[in-house]
Amino acid sequence: MFTSSGKVAWGQSFCSYFVAVLVVWLAVLITLCLGPALKHTATFFFCAVMVSSWYGGLWPGLLTAFLSWLALDYYFIPPLYSLGVSPAELPDMLAFTATVWFISWLNSNQRRAKGLLQQAHDELDARIRERTADLNRTNMQPQSEIAERRAAEEGLLQAQNEVARIARITTMGELAASIAHELNQPLGSIVVNGGACLRWLEGASPNLEEAREAVEAIIRDGTRASDVLVRTRKLVGASQGTRERLDINGVVQEVIGWSNDKLTRSSVSLRLKLEEDLPPVMVDRVQLQQVILNLVMNAIESMLEVGQSSRVLWIRTEKRSLGDLLIQVVDSGVGIGPKVSSRIFEPFYTTKANGIGMGLSISRSIIEAHGGRLWLSKADCGSTFCFSLPIDREARSG
Amino acid sequence: MDSEEPIVFAIDDDASMREALDRLFRSIKMRAIIFSSAEEFLEFKRPDVPAALVLDVRLPGLSGLELQRQLNGSGIPIIYITGHGDIPMSVEAMKAGAVEFLTKPFRDQVLLDAISVAIKRDRENRKERAEIAEYRARYQLLTQREREVLTHVVEGLLNKQIAAKLGTTEFTVKIHRKGVMQKMKAGSVPELVRMAQKLELPSLKH
Repeated sequence: MFTSSGKVAWGQSFCSYFVAVLVVWLAVLITLCLGPALKHTATFFFCAVMVSSWYGGLWPGLLTAFLSWLALDYYFIPPLYSLGVSPAELPDMLAFTATVWFISWLNSNQRRAKGLLQQAHDELDARIRERTADLNRTNMQPQSEIAERRAAEEGLLQAQNEVARIARITTMGELAASIAHELNQPLGSIVVNGGACLRWLEGASPNLEEAREAVEAIIRDGTRASDVLVRTRKLVGASQGTRERLDINGVVQEVIGWSNDKLTRSSVSLRLKLEEDLPPVMVDRVQLQQVILNLVMNAIESMLEVGQSSRVLWIRTEKRSLGDLLIQVVDSGVGIGPKVSSRIFEPFYTTKANGIGMGLSISRSIIEAHGGRLWLSKADCGSTFCFSLPIDREARSG
Repeated sequence: MDSEEPIVFAIDDDASMREALDRLFRSIKMRAIIFSSAEEFLEFKRPDVPAALVLDVRLPGLSGLELQRQLNGSGIPIIYITGHGDIPMSVEAMKAGAVEFLTKPFRDQVLLDAISVAIKRDRENRKERAEIAEYRARYQLLTQREREVLTHVVEGLLNKQIAAKLGTTEFTVKIHRKGVMQKMKAGSVPELVRMAQKLELPSLKH
């Protein structure tokens, strides 16, 4: 690289000096040919200096100027064919010399400036090329980054699901334990009172007054047990979020958005039949999403046992003449046997290995809290879960 | 001793349960005193009769298990009742010597059976404690020499060996031995050994 560039530089300067000599020779030739027709003898020698200094820079320019001066003096300045200068020609020759030196200097400067400019341009060009290459590289990077991020997101989603499941179980477990304790207190009293009552009634002379008091206590404790349930229900009710007027199809679409990945991975094809311009419903968005997501996930899981080609999930929404909306989640799975279908809405009943058996039970409570119903309408050759939601009253009257 | 009328103590923070237990105990004419907290029970001056304690595990303030720890010296048998079917807790309670661990709701008969077991156990404990107190009183009457002879007899040594150990004659040992049997009111050597075991006598240093 170094040597080759050195060679190039040497070749270039040789060329410059060759040109310097050549142009002088040409100028002499042309001027001699034109002879007296030429008004100013020095014209072509000016041109020669210009060309040479432009092409070769300062030093070839100066060489041309010197050779031109010699040629001019020898061929055209009296005394002719000698290097002497008559005093009369001296000012002209001095002017010529000064002019060509000046031209040389000017041209070479301009050339150097142009060279620098060219160099800067080249550098810029090289830098642009480099940056473009960099950009191309970084453009390639995002694709691998996207893949990485997608994997991370999937991991996160799984972790979230696991956390949510554990939290659900823990909360359910704690809630169940506390309800059990609250209920066992009055139940304990009821059973003891019942036993005491029977004992007071036994024997030859039963003590009716004591027995009556025991029965009254039993009634009181029964009411207390029922109060516990009412309180629990209120507690669950109080945890409801705010309700808003929503388009049910929008909620369905949101849930589909979340489930797309799972649908694709499970090779389930989705058929949507959402009736257009449905009136809005007054619902808790998160709870409704939970219900639909639960039904969709159940449907997908129920289809894992059938062949991939026949896995189809239908989701339909429609307005019923009853003045409510009907949402159906239909799968082409293995269906639900009569034994299971009779218990499927019971809390803690599950057919899944890692299920807690609360999904459908909670879903049903949510839908009922919204004034709707949730039921299993078809259980053989796939299952159809339906739920209804009342149309928002304002929308109905409006 | 059997003429002493037993008493049932019950501690439950639930007023309705206290009332139900009271009604049940009255129906079978069982003497019962019912408390709403462990502290209340501890303040009460208990009569010296066979007793059982029906104890709710979860109590405000001092819990059932903590109370059991405090009471362990007195040896009153405990029947736990709880609204939680908490297995680790029941294991702990049973290990600490509870008679029974009942989960609410329980049948009255189950509770009454447990109570009668507890009272029977307390009666035996009390009898045992009285017996030991009696033996201790008798032991106090023995002279230092007689106590030494007693220890060696219990160890199974012959009079001749005891005499050699104590550096005395066989005749003297026989006299001490007669004194021991009389003062301890022991009819035979095996009976004396049984008494010594109950007294948990420290073995003499040889």
